[in-house]
Amino acid sequence: MGAKRLGKTFTYLLLSFGCMLIVLPLYITLVTAMKTPAESLRSFLTLPSGLMLDNFDTVISHSGYWRSFGNSLLITVIVLCGNVLIMPPLSYAVTRSMGYSRVFRVLYYYLLIGIFIPFQVKMIPLVKMMSSFGLNHPVGLAILCIGSNTCESTFLYVGYMQSLPSEIEEAAYIDGASPARTFYETVMPLITPILATSLIKEALWIWNDFMLPLLILNKNEYFTLTLFAYNFKSTDNTDFGPLFACYMLQMAPMLIFYLFAQKHIIGGLTAGAVKG
Amino acid sequence: MSVKGKGNNGNTLIQRSRRTTFMLFSLPGVLLYSVFFIYPVGLGIYYSLTDWNGITRDWNVVGFQNYITLFSNTRYQKAMSFTLRYAVLLVLFTLVLSVVLALLLDKPLKGMTFYRGMFFLPAVLCGITISLVFSQIFMRVLPLLGSALNLDFLKKSLLGRKETAQYGILFVNLWQGVAMPTVLMLAGMQTVPNELYESAKLDGADGWHCFWKITMPFLLPTVTIVAILTLKGGLGVFDYIKGLTDGGPNNSTISLSLLIWQDAFNRQKFSTAVAEAIIMSLILIAFSVVQITFSNRKKVY
Repeated sequence: MGAKRLGKTFTYLLLSFGCMLIVLPLYITLVTAMKTPAESLRSFLTLPSGLMLDNFDTVISHSGYWRSFGNSLLITVIVLCGNVLIMPPLSYAVTRSMGYSRVFRVLYYYLLIGIFIPFQVKMIPLVKMMSSFGLNHPVGLAILCIGSNTCESTFLYVGYMQSLPSEIEEAAYIDGASPARTFYETVMPLITPILATSLIKEALWIWNDFMLPLLILNKNEYFTLTLFAYNFKSTDNTDFGPLFACYMLQMAPMLIFYLFAQKHIIGGLTAGAVKG
Repeated sequence: MSVKGKGNNGNTLIQRSRRTTFMLFSLPGVLLYSVFFIYPVGLGIYYSLTDWNGITRDWNVVGFQNYITLFSNTRYQKAMSFTLRYAVLLVLFTLVLSVVLALLLDKPLKGMTFYRGMFFLPAVLCGITISLVFSQIFMRVLPLLGSALNLDFLKKSLLGRKETAQYGILFVNLWQGVAMPTVLMLAGMQTVPNELYESAKLDGADGWHCFWKITMPFLLPTVTIVAILTLKGGLGVFDYIKGLTDGGPNNSTISLSLLIWQDAFNRQKFSTAVAEAIIMSLILIAFSVVQITFSNRKKVY
């Protein structure tokens, strides 16, 4: 019994140490954001002496903050809408036609090629391509992201739709519903779980993405929140409070999102990780 | 793949309207995918065969010249060896840490849901912001701590020294990168039938034995996939380096991705950069093929 209790204590000790390692950087970010540099230099670990929000104010009143926030939000919304509007119908057509239509079977494999192609191959040509299309702005980036994520979404949706019985659809056809109506009224409601998974995954990717915005968006007015944080400099180097406030503000939306949708996020991020 | 053979003559009115609808359903997605995914890949392969510097109006097709010169390019070789070493270290640490964490989190104790939630948290944060936070911590907080505790190795920033910079990057990468593998390992551990542990206990096997003889064989498919995913991540490392050292100190932490970036945008060696990217991608594709083979085999279980 004694050994068992020892093991239990040991487990909790290790886990708590791990948790501390994870929380500490976030804690330091939060408290440093609420202190003056002089106060921080005395100790980075102590709690702030009061609820000082000046540093946050500095970041928020920066002309670029809300614009970047808006750009990030705009890109995320367009990408998610694009996914919902374009990818499920495509996946449905592929799933239900693959069995008898050669065209769609070829299409399926054409879409799957993307899974094998790493981002690095197109990383540099993308820059030239997007500027020659005149698409080096947030909306252009969003369109690019919808296209880039095609294979991953289709892979998830097709896998899920294959497990759906086709009898309900057949019944709808017999009742005289058009194929489009059948899809939107009987299939779409059934795929909401996988739709949620795919959207969560995509939202996290878009909101946190750094490389694509860095490549495509070169003007200050087009910056996303990650680019804003990357380029944010305090007016002088010794005043690092606003810097931490800026990082905190970039992470805050995701932290809150995680707080409320933890289960869905863990499920969403790990689904398809094994395959994609 | 499900095979739907019903009414495949395709002549009835319903069949025809279904076909048209499906074509229309597929069109936007296929178009976006072709223009924004496949086209730039083709463009990249083409550029790699030219001598374009990324700026001039015209260029010549030079065949495989860009690839051949890479063999004698010391910058490229240095980046390649840095990246390989980094990726191997990342895989080893990720595997050990995620298996240990998953074993701890798998215990039927109180509060495990809380701990699991905490350990997954880094996965939802932004890699570049995390790197920027850590670069500030390395620069300001740790040296202060080093002076307070009189620890010499902390007094100067870890990222400022050639020997330690890559371990600083590795630490931040692991801080965020262990979360997902841990959850995958945990899921893998659920596939082990409980009876096996029970009968092993009756036979007097200890925990160490149980782990290697029972848990590990069941976990092996997950371990393989985590290893390959992490390897691919490590070979492509960019954000952490950009946020922490930007290749420094003294060009000691230039990864392949960063080299490609620098060659393309700072050094006007556009076509060389594309060739470098394609070589790197071929390596990644090889690992993806291995990964898909393994995950298909996993289904047989």
